[in-house]
Amino acid sequence: MLGVYVHIPFCQRKCNYCAFSSFVLNEEKQTEYVDFLIKEIKNFAKNNTKKVDTIFIGGGTPSLLPIHLMWQIFQTLKSEFVIDEKAEITIECNPNSLTLHALQEYKQMGINRISIGVQSLDDNQLQFIGRLHNSQTAINSIKMAKEVFENVSVDLLIGIKNQQKEAFLTDLRTIASLGVTHISTYMLQVEGGTPLAQMAENNPALLPDDDECVGIYESAVKELAKLGFNQYEVSNFAKEGNKCKHNQKYWRGDEYIGFGLSAHSYINGTRFANSNNFTDYYKSKIAMTEKLDENQLITEHIMLGLRCDLGVDKNYLKSLKFDIEKSESLADYVQRGIIRTSGDKLFLNPQYYGVNNFIIAHLLP
Amino acid sequence: MKRIDKIRNFCIVAHIDHGKSTLADRLIEKTGTLAKRDMQAQLLDSMELEREKGITIKLTPTRMNYTYNGEEYQLNLIDTPGHVDFTYEVSRSLAACEGAILIVDASQGVEAQTLANAYLAIDNNLDILPVVNKIDLPSARPEEVKKEVEDVVGIPAMHAPCISAKEGTNIEQVLEMIVKEFPAPKGDENGKLKCLIFDSYYDNFKGAICLIRVFDGSVKVGDKIKMFQTGKVYEVTEVGIFVPHEKSTGVLLAGDVGYLAGSIKNISDIAVGDTITNALDPIDAPLAGYKKVQPVVFCGIFPVDGAKYNELKDSLEKLKLNDASLEFSPEVSQALGFGFRCGFLGLLHLEIITERLEREFNLDLITTAPSVFYRVHKTDGNVIELSNPSSLPPVVEISKIEEPFVKASIFTPPEYVGAIMELAQEKRGVYKDLTYLDAGRVRLNYILPLGEIIYDFFDSLKSRTRGYASFDYEMADYAESELVRVDILLNGEKCDALSIIVHKDKAYARGRALTEKLKKIIPRQLFEVPIQAAIGGKIIARETVSAMRKDVLAKCYGGDITRKRKLLEKQKEGKKRMRKIGSVEIPSEAFMSILKLDDEG
Repeated sequence: MLGVYVHIPFCQRKCNYCAFSSFVLNEEKQTEYVDFLIKEIKNFAKNNTKKVDTIFIGGGTPSLLPIHLMWQIFQTLKSEFVIDEKAEITIECNPNSLTLHALQEYKQMGINRISIGVQSLDDNQLQFIGRLHNSQTAINSIKMAKEVFENVSVDLLIGIKNQQKEAFLTDLRTIASLGVTHISTYMLQVEGGTPLAQMAENNPALLPDDDECVGIYESAVKELAKLGFNQYEVSNFAKEGNKCKHNQKYWRGDEYIGFGLSAHSYINGTRFANSNNFTDYYKSKIAMTEKLDENQLITEHIMLGLRCDLGVDKNYLKSLKFDIEKSESLADYVQRGIIRTSGDKLFLNPQYYGVNNFIIAHLLP
Repeated sequence: MKRIDKIRNFCIVAHIDHGKSTLADRLIEKTGTLAKRDMQAQLLDSMELEREKGITIKLTPTRMNYTYNGEEYQLNLIDTPGHVDFTYEVSRSLAACEGAILIVDASQGVEAQTLANAYLAIDNNLDILPVVNKIDLPSARPEEVKKEVEDVVGIPAMHAPCISAKEGTNIEQVLEMIVKEFPAPKGDENGKLKCLIFDSYYDNFKGAICLIRVFDGSVKVGDKIKMFQTGKVYEVTEVGIFVPHEKSTGVLLAGDVGYLAGSIKNISDIAVGDTITNALDPIDAPLAGYKKVQPVVFCGIFPVDGAKYNELKDSLEKLKLNDASLEFSPEVSQALGFGFRCGFLGLLHLEIITERLEREFNLDLITTAPSVFYRVHKTDGNVIELSNPSSLPPVVEISKIEEPFVKASIFTPPEYVGAIMELAQEKRGVYKDLTYLDAGRVRLNYILPLGEIIYDFFDSLKSRTRGYASFDYEMADYAESELVRVDILLNGEKCDALSIIVHKDKAYARGRALTEKLKKIIPRQLFEVPIQAAIGGKIIARETVSAMRKDVLAKCYGGDITRKRKLLEKQKEGKKRMRKIGSVEIPSEAFMSILKLDDEG
């Protein structure tokens, strides 16, 4: 079954660390955008009758989109696709733009999972990364979401200025106590061209070093386990039965279609992405397209399989003419307990998720 | 006038950058040997690399015709490489001449190689014509420099032409003096053939070619000739001269300089300095002065990509076609895999060869630290010679180690004498003498271990004297030294390619410097990596590379898998440049980094 991603590239303001396609909002622009988005969806669906079992509305800040425009998107999706009755339908929200009314409307649309960009419960840190909410707003928004939805996820950032391990663990406990079912802890990345990159260049001491970040990350992994969250990917933790199905599609190499500015898709062994500027996007220009060859398929399967609990399928690799068991590095990693074998599958010991790139680079053909 | 009386065979010698090649170009241009439009700047330095480095490596003789007082003279210019690595080649080129032009820079005056080259010319009984060059420079002081030549070199110089080769000033005067000052060759063109081989090169069609000076007799196409050193006999297929490109003449007579081809397969069949005679009517004894050229500096050369071993082999063989002094033999290193141990005439030679391998043959190389040839006396009475530190037998089996020394002379303004003495002492130099040449110049003589000279000596000398000192050396004898091998252990495993042989007193400092440097270069691994320096079983220094804890935990934004894959593919490519010692990965740069340690400075 197909996954659907819809990108809403509008924000109230852009965060200091964000290198993503998002623009400060403007009602007229949003209407124009949604109009085109609907055309794009219809156009794709004309030639594609696949059943859809995950939908992810990401951003930007989808919760900022006026409700009537969001309704238009969902009406289109429902009329153009066959949506599985158990489909996971997620929307990303920001604490400061979330209202009870909107949540109830989302439920009406069929959305069943809320992902809230909390990032931190420390007001100074929130200010530093340029977020518009404070910790109280964040907590309130989680409580509000939980009133309407069972499945609520929270995103947090590791590696913000002055972040303390103990405080971060306390935040995790606070968030868990609110009943959330899923937590993502991403490492703050300094992307070129962002205000954060400029700030870090002027003052390298601004951000904690790798060792500190990893210290927080490792403690968080342990704490989350205690709180009943199972790690199923480098940065993702879920209560039993609450793994994010949509993200798992990315890691499993399943097909998904992305609609909207700069959205990525993977269909029929081909990866492609929409343009990341409005002018080209409205001309249906593609930013890149790439039919994966065997080598790329192998690389992706190993790269994605080892960063999560889905693992690497030796037989699938063999079907691509790659016998990973001949790799000396693999034998070494297995012997050192870094990689675990189970039947035809290989799994990275979660202890090594943090350095998965290093390990994966050795296993590639 | 007889034919032979109108020949002048001469060479130009100088300290580096004093204008040797520029004057050669001017002479060629002035005699009309080549039209100006055909001249490439500095014609004689024919290799790209030579032109870039501003040094001459390969000699190219040129015949020029010059009319003086109504008579047409034949001037044979034999260019010489201006570097200490090639002293023997220079001496053989000089032996082919009757005269030498000694160029001295009008502002710099006599330098180390000025003197070394002048002495080589004197040793070969050449008449020397000093020429003061670069008089166009504002800092030129030609009269003082002439005096310096008289005082330091000990030859008359007041009549020396003052020229600017760059601007073409007074070139005519040089040509006149070549005719007037240098003697014509003596020799009997009807006598038995006696030829000196002063150089050789390889031609894809004609095979190995000898550059020769005919002393007596004549040689023509069809003659059977014999080489003294190899005893081999060849039939001459072509003889000719250089104008400056090859021009076949069918015959060369006593006094002439030219080339000879005889279907000689390998350049190693031709020994520079050897004598050629007629196989059917030979002379009794060869010319004096022949020496077998021995490499003195060695290093391991390995392809970064192990799969390119055969390419490296082919490339070395191609270079060897034109360079008999280059030696190489297969070598296996646990760390670096299959490669070659190569022998060179000196550091410059080493540098030229590795650069040509990388540029002309597009190879990515790892070279190990240069080393000299050690003579190891074992307790069982055997003596072995080795250049690879990892071949050194265990300490208990060694009774003594000898290493090669050089006689070094350093020219410097007096204010740097202290700094140089300090450097020489650090380099285990033994002071011989100090001479004040004039108010502004001192000559220092030292006996130094060659092993120290090839380790950062030139750079240190340059930086400590702000480039004012010049340096030259000749090989001296072997002598005993207290040498030890310092090994590097990564995660407890010895990395053979990083072993060095050093003097006992310096082992600790070098071991420390090595481990510190490696700590900076070796990236973090999945586990902690101890880096140790050891002599035998004894650890003398230790550093630790702490374990890597994070690479990238970035989010796959909106399913952008491609970006992530590309990053990973790049990372994988980087791995190809890594070498594995046990389970430790080290970048190939690490092996080269130990060539330059900023300790001891």
